[in-house]
Amino acid sequence: MTLLALYLLALLDGLLCGLRTSMGRCPLIRKRSYYTRALLRGIAGAQVISMLALGALLLTSAFSSHRAPFRADLEAIAGRMLWVFLPYAALVLTNLALRLIPSTDLRSATSVVMLGPLTAMRPVVMIAGVLFGISASELPETRFLGVFILGLMLALEFALNRRAARVQAIEIRRLV
Amino acid sequence: MFPAWDAAQPEITDLIVQHDPGTLQRLPVRKQELVEVFSKFRNRKALRAVQALPENGGILDEREIDALFLTVHWEMQRLAEEFYHGNRVWEILRPVVACIRQSGIRDTLRIVDVGCGIGYSTRWLAAKIPLAEHNIEVIGMDLNSTLIAEANRLATAESLPCQFLHGDAFSSQHSNHVLLSTGVIHHFRGPALFEFLRRHDQPGLQAFLHFDFQPWFLAPLGSLFFHYLRMRTAIARHDGVLSTIRAHSARTLTEAARSSAPGFAAGIYGARIWSTPAPRVFHTLVGLRHKLVPELHRQLGRHAMRLGELR
Repeated sequence: MTLLALYLLALLDGLLCGLRTSMGRCPLIRKRSYYTRALLRGIAGAQVISMLALGALLLTSAFSSHRAPFRADLEAIAGRMLWVFLPYAALVLTNLALRLIPSTDLRSATSVVMLGPLTAMRPVVMIAGVLFGISASELPETRFLGVFILGLMLALEFALNRRAARVQAIEIRRLV
Repeated sequence: MFPAWDAAQPEITDLIVQHDPGTLQRLPVRKQELVEVFSKFRNRKALRAVQALPENGGILDEREIDALFLTVHWEMQRLAEEFYHGNRVWEILRPVVACIRQSGIRDTLRIVDVGCGIGYSTRWLAAKIPLAEHNIEVIGMDLNSTLIAEANRLATAESLPCQFLHGDAFSSQHSNHVLLSTGVIHHFRGPALFEFLRRHDQPGLQAFLHFDFQPWFLAPLGSLFFHYLRMRTAIARHDGVLSTIRAHSARTLTEAARSSAPGFAAGIYGARIWSTPAPRVFHTLVGLRHKLVPELHRQLGRHAMRLGELR
């Protein structure tokens, strides 16, 4: 259950990464399909990362000399990570929900005052969540796995951003 | 104060593309001249951004600068989207149009977005507002031909009922009913601001709406943080912050408008968030023919409290 919750949070993070990295790169007015593609790309990226993390988990488990303690340790650190990631996700989702209220000032305020700083905090939250999780770990392989997954999570936005920048640069080259 | 926050200096984008004012032909820009401008202000941030600009034999590479300009303007549109700028424009433009109609003008109203860039406001209005029902024609004008070509391309791509023209919106060739602009007026400083507003005194013009950053003590910090998070190019980050520092106060704008365009009542719209003392990021210099003022108050309805003294 805990791992499933982390997986769903990873998908949500990927979705928002996809959205963020695509913003400011399409000057059309109506761009629902553009953003839909960006969201799907983000989810796909998060899915790839989840598969890599699962692969690493299975490999570590296969080579671990103490599988049962490894599984228990993994559950424990995942549970601790949720203590950091869930409030962060709740804050982000609350602010996104506030934007459903049709007030230009309120919508702008959520963007400037909340979503902007929350975006800036994302890497810090990621690092804090993983460090908090693995700080109670008893096995080196779980710690390794935690750091590996942290690297993947941080790499996701970087990779999506690089891709979006490359596509945008090609498009602009065609125009000038 | 940081050198990059000196309001006396120009923005980088003011300098990297230059036109002959008469023919609107693009002029070559020497990189060294830009370096000298920002060296005087000891603005290392601007100098780093300028040094990185591609050049050919000391002259800025036009094609690369155009690509950079488009990148920056695409990014800037994102800010307009995040601030729901289109909605804000229509919030005040709708009652202005209504009161012009009440005054008896039945012609198609020609609304011109001055210094439109890639024409976000114009295209937003064309996409979201049934302009034909209001009998409105929206046109974007800019001196930069690359941005106008891009605005036209985007409008065509979405089949939007608007047009974009390369030229001077104040030229005698054009007769406009409403002029609007976004983030343009702070580029006019000192006597140039008075001259810019003096040119509004045209016979057919009924109103003008100039949207720009509202200066207050936290604006530069907020802008720095916001641009650092949202913008990706060094020039956009630099100029975005400098824009908020160079922004004119409500008093400067209204005094300049009242003395330079006496045919209009001038005031500020939307300075505060709801009824709180918290300032909005943007405020609007509103100019309206005196006879239309009472009707504007009526048309604004509950939003009338957002309008400052209009005289």
